Amino acid sequence: MDFELNPEEKAFQKEIREFLDKECNENVVAEVDSMLGEGPYSKELLRKMGARKLLAPTWPVEYGGRGMGHMAETIKVDEITTHHAPFPLDAVEIGNSLLIVGNEEQKKRFLPGIAKGEIEFALGYSEPNAGSDVASVQLRSVEDGDHFILNGQKIYNTEAHFSDYHWLLTKSDPNAVKKHRGLTLFMVDLKSPGITIRPLITMAGLRTNEVFYEDVRVPKKNMVGEKNGGWAVLMSALYGGGGGGGLATGTKKVIDTLVKYVLEEKQDTDENQWIPDALADLYIRTQVGEIMGLRATALADLKVTPPYGGGGAASRLLGGDTRRLLYKTAMQILGPYGQLAKDSKWAPLNGEILREYMDAPRWTIVHGSQEIQKLNIATRGLGLPRK
Amino acid sequence: MDPRLSEEQEILQKSARDFLTEKCPKSLVREMEKDEKGYSPQLWQEVADLGWMGLVFPEKYGGAGMSFLDLAILLEEMGRACFPGPFFSTVILGGLPILDIGSDEQKEKYLPQIASGKAIFALALTEASGKYEAGAIKAKATADKNAYVINGTKLFITDAYVADYFLCIARTDAKSKGEEGITIFIVDAKSPGISRTVLKTIAMDKQCEVVFTQVKVPKENILGKLNQGWGEVQKIIERAAIAKCCEMVGGMQAVLDMTVAYVKERVQFDVPIGVFQAIQHHCVNMLVDVEGSRAVAYEAAWRISTGRPYSSEAAITKAWVSDAYYRVVTLGTQAHGGVAIIEDHDMPLYYRRAKAAELAFGDARFHRKTVARKLGFAVD
Repeated sequence: MDFELNPEEKAFQKEIREFLDKECNENVVAEVDSMLGEGPYSKELLRKMGARKLLAPTWPVEYGGRGMGHMAETIKVDEITTHHAPFPLDAVEIGNSLLIVGNEEQKKRFLPGIAKGEIEFALGYSEPNAGSDVASVQLRSVEDGDHFILNGQKIYNTEAHFSDYHWLLTKSDPNAVKKHRGLTLFMVDLKSPGITIRPLITMAGLRTNEVFYEDVRVPKKNMVGEKNGGWAVLMSALYGGGGGGGLATGTKKVIDTLVKYVLEEKQDTDENQWIPDALADLYIRTQVGEIMGLRATALADLKVTPPYGGGGAASRLLGGDTRRLLYKTAMQILGPYGQLAKDSKWAPLNGEILREYMDAPRWTIVHGSQEIQKLNIATRGLGLPRK
Repeated sequence: MDPRLSEEQEILQKSARDFLTEKCPKSLVREMEKDEKGYSPQLWQEVADLGWMGLVFPEKYGGAGMSFLDLAILLEEMGRACFPGPFFSTVILGGLPILDIGSDEQKEKYLPQIASGKAIFALALTEASGKYEAGAIKAKATADKNAYVINGTKLFITDAYVADYFLCIARTDAKSKGEEGITIFIVDAKSPGISRTVLKTIAMDKQCEVVFTQVKVPKENILGKLNQGWGEVQKIIERAAIAKCCEMVGGMQAVLDMTVAYVKERVQFDVPIGVFQAIQHHCVNMLVDVEGSRAVAYEAAWRISTGRPYSSEAAITKAWVSDAYYRVVTLGTQAHGGVAIIEDHDMPLYYRRAKAAELAFGDARFHRKTVARKLGFAVD
């Protein structure tokens, strides 16, 4: 048994940390914290990261990666979030899936570009009537010679307005006996005629999108997997990663910031006696989630499936809860000052707590709501019966 | 990073589980709760013969020279089986401190007795306040020629009733208050002046009141350094907290296992209740706690095993697992329904042990204070 990162992982952590310390400047941070999506500074940083092979460390060398394990992805995600650097989540996740289900031509066409930070992808799953029940998508794909014609609507496609491609789940067979047997997945050039992208802004000020398709033509060579085989592609994307959970340096920094704020700026009155206990509890939760996630990631790298599917999904559940609790507690610590927005006079800690407080509920919903994750763990991990 | 057990550890785990399944059924656990001694001397000797008592002690003291992590595996299995008996008191609270700071003579005298199952130890630490803090130590040991005379009352001393020896923590400097002036003594339990009363506790785990009245202990029975014992006591508490968490993980896993099995077969509304989302969420919430507790407990045990510092980890782990065990056992009870609140169901065995384990070596609030101090707060 061993709980230390191996030397290669430590070296990678040092490399990406030092790189971002230097290159993730205030222009990038401002862009990322605006929550409006990748702008020119973010794109520039991503290309620099790509040039140093920092974006897709788990991919094979021939596609622009380093051939490292899931632990490297965990390290990357930790450093990116800690530095407020742009987060090419969708592209890398999609690339993981392409590695499993894409054909050789597609891998060569897309993976090196993603790894270099030159191609950005947006996930296109959700629709107004297909959220957790994603197999109910209605966006239609109809075969037409060597193309498909697409019509319909997507929603909550957060990266669509700054991406090059859409990873689009469509309904190709409306007569399929089981709806998940009538789905096909495409990679669609977002500059194609007939695509309209409209912003949707969350309560935190995060830009996401509605995407409308009207007679959009996509070439067959951009179909991923088989026709009507979209469900398998989707599953490989949702469960292909394995790692990604673990290190929580960013959360620990926020806790440290709050400790400092309480000790230095907040008057220590009897009313505040609950604060040390509450912040200790958050630190403990964070540490538990971190070790649980790292343990699961390490097991995934060792190709071990532990009983109940292990702690990866479980650590994500705990992490989502911890995030909400962290910002709830932080806002309580700030008291009336917590409600002051970033640019307001008297706003504490640069108004960042308020922004994260407004954004925290998103994290127990995106990428599979907690309820769907629990359903998956219950049935796949614990083997409980389905309806 | 490699969180797996080694092949040898997997064998140890399996053999311990098989052994306890056969030799320590819940019927024995219940019987021992009512038994005067609280343990089966026959089972105790069998366990000693298997080498469990001596697992972590060097071969020259009759042990097997294995690691704390190996011991953690045994403790998890004991937690799963609700193993009755003074194993924890003897090995974790008695043997390990002697191995750590005992003189060669002390090691030679006591460790082989422990390894062979001939000596039972108990840690006479806590007093009336029930706190694991230096300030709570009021018992006095006064120098008298080549001996010390101990006076004081120790409370919540698990296994004191059957102990052959105590590690007794007392103040050797009458003027001292905090962490200074505290000394650890090895006390023969047959010494005149010791009276022990078994307390009826939630887990029926033979916690005792132990009164020391003019108990004379030879000077050479000081364990470690005179007046500077608190640092070692703290280490004993931290290590015991981690060890206790490993035991608790075994109990939590047992509760999860039996709950998952039950909801797959219990039929209501013509379907197994495991179909229902409410029940599924209970089970997944339990799993999150079991997996989280296992991860931190084993990471902490690994730190002890490899000589890394573990003070923060002890606090984090015991704070988390103390509350997590309660959550798991109450959700497990809820998923079972009425059957699990009946006295002779297995669930109450775990429910009661979860509380006793929560209290042992500091509850969640106690350890969160430690974490708060490490974050920079001045809390007392």
